Amino acid sequence: MKKRYWRCFVCNDIHYGVAPPELCPTCKVLNAYVEISADEARGILGGGPGITLTPGEFRAAIERFAAGQEFEVNPDREKVGMLIEGVFANEANHGLKYCPCRLCAKDWEEDLKIVCPCNFTIHETYKGVRDGECWCGLFVRRK
Amino acid sequence: MADLLMFHGRECPHCKKMMPLVEKLEQESGVRIDKREVWHDEKNADLMRSYRSALAPKCGGQLRVPTFFNPDTQDAICGEVEFEKLKEWALKR
Ligand code: SF4
Repeated sequence: MKKRYWRCFVCNDIHYGVAPPELCPTCKVLNAYVEISADEARGILGGGPGITLTPGEFRAAIERFAAGQEFEVNPDREKVGMLIEGVFANEANHGLKYCPCRLCAKDWEEDLKIVCPCNFTIHETYKGVRDGECWCGLFVRRK
Repeated sequence: MADLLMFHGRECPHCKKMMPLVEKLEQESGVRIDKREVWHDEKNADLMRSYRSALAPKCGGQLRVPTFFNPDTQDAICGEVEFEKLKEWALKR
């Protein structure tokens, strides 16, 4: 199933996926998405506000992401600091926030799987493991 | 006897933890482990990618660090491992 681009005809939210959301998460209008081209999607996103995320803001974002989940950001601050440094170095040098404990295969689809945070819930180091953690140890199972 | 290879990342905590164990192993056993950093050195990254078919099956189907590799036998282990396990692997050739 190929992912495609969609635009909300009411509020211009952009969605990239195999199907559009039934309910627009921003304006809450039903069946509001129309399929658009990649160029149009990029044109809309590219003209949007240049929002940047500092390492501290990224850290706050992953804390919010983990809140209420069965995992949390590792309480070991030093380890987390090192990993975030790596994630930002990779973004600066290689374009995306790639995992510091893995390596891009130079395969776009494959490499999207190692953008941080990745879906670590399927990692052997996490899935079904009592004190499980993501491959790097940025996220750990909540005690 | 060819050197063993260690692929590691500068900001990878597991790699950092393995470093002193690797050095201890080198001193104790005379085994030489060629350490290649892969996120800040494209040559090393390409070298690791060139071994993808041997490394990935041992490592969740991906290229992950730290990974220890024996180019002669194409055998690999990856992740943070105990000293004894690393030693056994390194000496088993
Ligand atoms: S393994 Fe952990 S640090 Fe690496 S990308 Fe996934 S969540 Fe981020």
